Amino acid sequence: MTDLRSLTPDDAQLAAEFALGLLDGNDRAQAAARAGSDPLFAAEVARWRGRLAPMLDEVAPVAPPQMAWEAVDRATAVAAPDAPANDNVADLRRRVRIWRAFSGGATAIAAALALVLLLQPPVSQAPAPAPAPRAQLAPMVASLASDKGEPMLMATWDPVSERLIIAAADDMPAPSGHSHEVWLIPAGGSPMKVAMLPGSARMHMQVPDDIAEQLRRGATLAVSVEPAGGSPTGLPTGPVIASGALETS
Amino acid sequence: MTHCDPVAAGRIVAGGAGVIFPHPRAAGFLFPPAKRWGMNARMDGKATIAASADKEPAELLAAIARGDKAALSRLYRLTASRLYGICLHMLRNEAEAEDALQDIYVTVWRKAALFDSTKASGQTWLGVLARNKAVDRLRRRTLPTAPVEQAEQIADDGPSALDVIEAAEDGARLSHCLDELEERQRGLIRTAFFEGVTYSDLANREDVPLGTMKSWIRRGLMRLRGCLER
Repeated sequence: MTDLRSLTPDDAQLAAEFALGLLDGNDRAQAAARAGSDPLFAAEVARWRGRLAPMLDEVAPVAPPQMAWEAVDRATAVAAPDAPANDNVADLRRRVRIWRAFSGGATAIAAALALVLLLQPPVSQAPAPAPAPRAQLAPMVASLASDKGEPMLMATWDPVSERLIIAAADDMPAPSGHSHEVWLIPAGGSPMKVAMLPGSARMHMQVPDDIAEQLRRGATLAVSVEPAGGSPTGLPTGPVIASGALETS
Repeated sequence: MTHCDPVAAGRIVAGGAGVIFPHPRAAGFLFPPAKRWGMNARMDGKATIAASADKEPAELLAAIARGDKAALSRLYRLTASRLYGICLHMLRNEAEAEDALQDIYVTVWRKAALFDSTKASGQTWLGVLARNKAVDRLRRRTLPTAPVEQAEQIADDGPSALDVIEAAEDGARLSHCLDELEERQRGLIRTAFFEGVTYSDLANREDVPLGTMKSWIRRGLMRLRGCLER
């Protein structure tokens, strides 16, 4: 190839811009293609990555949530796990089958939920010693649909492990400069913030006690469009794009 | 430019995340002492890392490339706090940072063979991977509704995205060389690095013509390289 020549100052500059991520659209695609085909250019990009990387040392480490490793562990399983599912997980699996069978339009949601089930913790990890059961302990499910009745997300709530899982049927990026926020609407009460919906539109979380309490009673979940980072008022300010009530059975 | 200051940014993360995800388990680590390591601290840290801790990630990555699952688990225990800190700092959302973290280690599992211990330390390679994943997510956030393939294309820097070459003195010199830049240049480079924003984003933010923004940053980058290679 062209290994004997040295990079022109313009190319060296382009390598820096590409490594730092300053380029848009076409410029970026061209630089990426160049890095894939021109070893000299690729090496300068790689050197810039190394030069800039020490900035990352300024960021304070933060302990990740426990369940993050569990998901990695599952996704990188060497052999197929044959651990028996606990009752709730089995019940959710059954629901996935029911969803597949009966709601044609929602197959993608069922598939998304099936994927999310892979993230469930093994039985040994799951239920913290639960307080005396006060209410519903069977998992609950909500289909969050648009106002046209089109199912967009599926939520499952496991009152035993106090986990809430939300998965979108399809990619649903928020409009530029906005985020999707998940709300809980208690019967006859005002909306409570649950979480920001990540860009992947797929999340699982351990819910705080006040939210768990409301979820146990059965509530409506909704997703609204908010300014980036979430509603500034603590209440939904943008349009609700999907909502649905949690149900058992 | 407060958004470039890691101390201020740490505060934003803590406050924002606290409101969004107020579960009790999180409370303990929502307010990390977001410290800015001075040059001395960094040099000390680097020496320690080179001596012991960093040899290990490199060896573990080699073992992972051979399919050693226990090595992945050990690498996670050793490095997850650092990488999660980076994700949280850049994404400012716990759920998304957690997703990114999972994505990082799944990628490590699949692509550890791309790590070359003669070119960079394990910690540096992992840090670059973490930043790549966070930048991908930041970019996807700002995309208008677009077909999946297009989003993938925009997020992808190609197969060489994990090539990293580190000079032995990079860690010690970078903060010194950044300090030599004009404050504005330094701030823009830091913002681009941590917020995954492009020339046009920065030009809009600062309300200057695109050409002006490009020449500010280009001058900064070339000066930075000059200093690093001195």
